[in-house]
Amino acid sequence: MKILVVDDSKLMHKMYEVMLRQHSLVHAYEGRDALTRLWEHENTDLVLLDINMPVMDGLELLAERRKDARLQGVPVIVISTEGREEDTARAMELGADAYVKKPFAAGELTDAIERITERER
Amino acid sequence: MSEGRPGGGRLTVAAVSGGDLVVQLRSTLDRAAELVRVLEANLAAPTQAGEPRTAAERVVELESRLHAAEADVKELAERLVDSEHQAGRLMNLYVATYQLHASLDPEEVQQTIAEIALNLLGARRFALLLRGDEGEPCEVALAEGIDDDDPIYGGGRYRGGVGTVDATLDDGVLRVARGGGEEIGEGEVLAAVPLRVQDTIVGALVVLELLAHKPLLRTEDRDLLDLLSAHAASALFAARLYSAKDRRLRSLESLVRLARGA
Repeated sequence: MKILVVDDSKLMHKMYEVMLRQHSLVHAYEGRDALTRLWEHENTDLVLLDINMPVMDGLELLAERRKDARLQGVPVIVISTEGREEDTARAMELGADAYVKKPFAAGELTDAIERITERER
Repeated sequence: MSEGRPGGGRLTVAAVSGGDLVVQLRSTLDRAAELVRVLEANLAAPTQAGEPRTAAERVVELESRLHAAEADVKELAERLVDSEHQAGRLMNLYVATYQLHASLDPEEVQQTIAEIALNLLGARRFALLLRGDEGEPCEVALAEGIDDDDPIYGGGRYRGGVGTVDATLDDGVLRVARGGGEEIGEGEVLAAVPLRVQDTIVGALVVLELLAHKPLLRTEDRDLLDLLSAHAASALFAARLYSAKDRRLRSLESLVRLARGA
């Protein structure tokens, strides 16, 4: 699978590299960067999206995704932080497919990815 | 685990090897499930002619083997969970170490310490204290979820008076509140992690509160705290030293250019 990872934390990017080494990862550090990557990589299978980011945050990215027919078909898993449940709820309203709370174990993330993949088949 | 069982051969599990071990255990689990299916088929099949034992004896034997296989499956499932747990723990330690030493920019190293505390440890409120000159209060180099007017950690200085933190700064012992910290007193902390550069205590990471969905610090978190104790300060000091040297070098280069131009 080709997975776009959107997070402003270098630590989390490294974590995803280790956790998801069987997949091909594309990295973005904020929302605008992610949109560019999505247009460049039309065959992206999944997006892992952090909400709190500089420049364009995860919620703004989801709103932009809604406007673009090419991007609507790409499933999104939101990586959320406890204490910001309203952001998670808003992300689901904006069309996110699932969410995983930090800190998470590798199994929780891969389970969420498998569920989305099964649903998409 | 029994050896020489039918349908599979001996189960071998390598020493801790992360994801590969998980894959191996999954494969073994599949083989064990296959063995159960074979045994069930044998139980259902009629006794073959010419066998010396009675059908009843054979049923008893097959049932016994089935129970053994089921026990193996259960044990393997438990080991799979344990190994996934272990793989996750090692993954966190690897990523934290890698990222702590990936930069010589002091701000980036501090940011990494904050990210480890937030994303890997699940800390919601924490402070990074660094010792200054003799007799001076500790500098609060990093504070997350703490107001600037906090009476203990606010204003960029740790004012002291928290027993656990003061003791850790003094003797360098990692202190973690028992039972998830439910019984800790007001102003006390969930964890006080000494920060060492070689054998000198240069500060402490103080964890005040965890995220709500993580009620307590687990055993594997202790490993992460140990890692921070050994690596965070040295990474930060190396970065600060490099940054200071780099600034001095640039100043000298400017002076040399100025002198040559004059």
